[in-house]
Amino acid sequence: MEFEAVIGLEIHVELNCTTKLFCDCPNRPGDDPNANTCPTCLWLPGAMPRLSEQALEKASLLCLALGAELQPRSAFDQKVYYYPDLPKGYQLSQAHLPLARGGGVDIIDEDGSPCRLRIHHVHMEEDVAKLVHEMEGRVPISLVDFNRAGAPLVEIVTEPDFRAPHQAMEFLKALRTQVRYVGASECSMENGTMRCDANISVRPRGTTQMNTKVEVKNMNSVRHVGDAIAYEIERQGASVQAGEAVVLHTRLWDPDKKATLPMRAKFEGPTVPDPSVSAIELSREWIERMRAQLPEMPAARAERLVEQHGLTRDEALSLSADPESADFLEALVAEGVAPRMAMHWLTTQLLPAVRERRQGLGTSPVSPVRLAGLLHMLAKEEVNAKAARDVLAQMFESDRRPEAIVQACGFSQISDRGALDDLIDQVIRGQESAVANYRAGQEKALGFLVGQVMQASRGKANPKVIRELLVERLGA
Amino acid sequence: MDPIFFHRNPDPATAEGPRQGLRVALQPNLAVAGWPMEAGSRALAGYAAPEDATIVRRLRASGAHLSGSTHMSEFGLGLAGNGTGAALRAGEADVELVLDLMGESRLAAAGAAVCGFKPSYGLVSRFGLVGLIPSMECCGIMSESLGGIRAVLQVVAGQDGLDFSLPEEPVPDFAPETVDPARITVGVVGEAQHDLGVTQEEAFRSAIDGMAGAGFAVRQVSLPEWPLFALVHRIVGSVEASSAAGRYDSVRYGRRASGAKNWNEMYLLSRGAAFGTLLKSYLIQGAYFQFERYGAFEDACRIRARLVGEMRRLMAEVDVLALPAVVSGPRGGEAADDASDAPDGVYAQFALTLFANVTGQPALCLPSTMASHTGLQLVGPRLSDGRLLALAEYLQKTGRGGN
Repeated sequence: MEFEAVIGLEIHVELNCTTKLFCDCPNRPGDDPNANTCPTCLWLPGAMPRLSEQALEKASLLCLALGAELQPRSAFDQKVYYYPDLPKGYQLSQAHLPLARGGGVDIIDEDGSPCRLRIHHVHMEEDVAKLVHEMEGRVPISLVDFNRAGAPLVEIVTEPDFRAPHQAMEFLKALRTQVRYVGASECSMENGTMRCDANISVRPRGTTQMNTKVEVKNMNSVRHVGDAIAYEIERQGASVQAGEAVVLHTRLWDPDKKATLPMRAKFEGPTVPDPSVSAIELSREWIERMRAQLPEMPAARAERLVEQHGLTRDEALSLSADPESADFLEALVAEGVAPRMAMHWLTTQLLPAVRERRQGLGTSPVSPVRLAGLLHMLAKEEVNAKAARDVLAQMFESDRRPEAIVQACGFSQISDRGALDDLIDQVIRGQESAVANYRAGQEKALGFLVGQVMQASRGKANPKVIRELLVERLGA
Repeated sequence: MDPIFFHRNPDPATAEGPRQGLRVALQPNLAVAGWPMEAGSRALAGYAAPEDATIVRRLRASGAHLSGSTHMSEFGLGLAGNGTGAALRAGEADVELVLDLMGESRLAAAGAAVCGFKPSYGLVSRFGLVGLIPSMECCGIMSESLGGIRAVLQVVAGQDGLDFSLPEEPVPDFAPETVDPARITVGVVGEAQHDLGVTQEEAFRSAIDGMAGAGFAVRQVSLPEWPLFALVHRIVGSVEASSAAGRYDSVRYGRRASGAKNWNEMYLLSRGAAFGTLLKSYLIQGAYFQFERYGAFEDACRIRARLVGEMRRLMAEVDVLALPAVVSGPRGGEAADDASDAPDGVYAQFALTLFANVTGQPALCLPSTMASHTGLQLVGPRLSDGRLLALAEYLQKTGRGGN
């Protein structure tokens, strides 16, 4: 029998708010343990949660970015369970009335066809504390760090639309791009600001039944999500073939063993309405105000990059996936650089150079204005391409204007015919056989002669002018 | 052990302000920075409040003196082992603050022959209050004089930047106002009189007759779903209590049980040792509805909304409801303590008062001069707290209402 997988994802995104979800403590989980705490996020008796407006706004922008519909009324519930990382006994989460419903993400499927993966709902919740287990001493102890307790999270729950690992990976990449676009989160699986659980079941291909699912956690990269799903489909298929029943439980992905391992029976605690956090009522005007704040989203931007700047579809898609690069390109174009030249220099020169220096586009000293200055000189043939690459390297070392670097280092291209005449004379005298070959009709001898003149100028001559001069002198 | 105070305030100093000279006793479930806040439970043994509750901060700023915190039942549930009223009787305080979960401040007042008041839900900040039933509880106020109640309410009521759960409503004016009996209709709830003892019934009837004699329009009204109030209170209340008490894990305060093999066992042993019988029964009941009968809980929430609606309709017909308040069970037979370590007994005791906690209405209890442990309960629509106090003052001044 052939099996197909039915997969749904639950993605936690940590919002990059300045404060926690229900108090004014800094949302910086990485600080010294328990530095960012107060009675509210320590969940002490008598303290009360106060919903952060910024978190509500960022979460709402995220929902709109994913095409989800903000609900006029949503509310927080208590997700009841007892564990040392949650010493309040319940987690505030929107279980019954989520912030938004619906929406989806468009991806390109493995066979190249477009495919929409639907979102069931998006809700807000608070993060729990972090447990640190010290097993070293005579008595092992568990320490609790509350810096993360109460950090603002958004959970995106998809429909079970996924059939293959590829779809899950593409979904996560597209989701990440869109959330970054609205500035709601960094969405780094490696740093834990985006976490993905996958619910996976298998069924005979062609049937529509929903079988018992298994939840897989602990994937620390998009790649791991794909690997874990692929492994789990294989494992469940094999066990169904062998006549074993799939039991509802949770498994952890082990990236070293490249396998999912059983962790615990899946526990679903009760969720009861929280009486202390007021229901959230969003007016139509408020929602429209949020919508007006939405930047141009990646798909729309890619389309515009094709139409307005003449980029290819592939270029436009890859560029718009990274808002920083797309912004940079458009800034170059706004400075008057031709779009093709801007695209070429950004992707083949600047991005590799920035990466090599472990910097970001936004933090590197090469601003769009500086790079545009260099590219203008290149376009006007005041420097040649090789010199421009050298100038770019120097622009990382100082904040001097590119014109000044060209001046100081003598990178100016020699286009002055008088200055080149002497060099051409020298080469024509020294390369008699090549000259003879060219005159005998061998076109490629001309290229050799141009190269010789370039060498004599130590790279500063304008090759176009040399070629013209040589043809003029030898052709007659 | 101090018979009146769990913690006596050693510091006589007060701020300058309009309430200078007013002595307020509170319960150790209201946070006073640095004071032990055990809320009558071993689960909070050794816990000191990190900051003032909003009520406390406002009282202090008004110049009131905090006499100390009194003894209280575990998390304020019921009146057993409760020293409520002792500070008033001993002349150690002019006002006592008492958590009202199901009528505690009103019944304690009837028992101590003083006035007891539960403000409208959402009128007084719960920031810094260790409670048990967040959607029903309110800090009640007891005093020999209605003026004492008003003096506190004027200072503590109103919006609080630390308690976002307070609805954004205008705060009523609590200034004394004139009462014209001819323009006030009193609704006497028939269902609340079924189980009264003879002397209590007489006392209540005399109070109603007095009001009619003073010119109030008195009408019999009916709440056909009266028994549902107790059911709803019990299901919703116990579920909320189960969540609210979930945090008492004995790790950061309280006493950690020894000999546990793992954290889960440590929770179980510590909680088992910390909580009293009544609270345990109540929490187990709440957990049962949370984990096993969630549908019944949802039904209870729906019925609660219906009851609130019905009450709103009734309050459009009358200005104020009148009911008896009776200590030690509606029949007046058994003593308060006998039935009070099981939820059944406690709910029987508070059968006449708990509806105001379900609906969030303000409720005031005036002591009867005819029968001990008995009072006249007046209940108004939400946020009619000021009018309710004025009405009660009128009755006291004119000697009507059996008071």
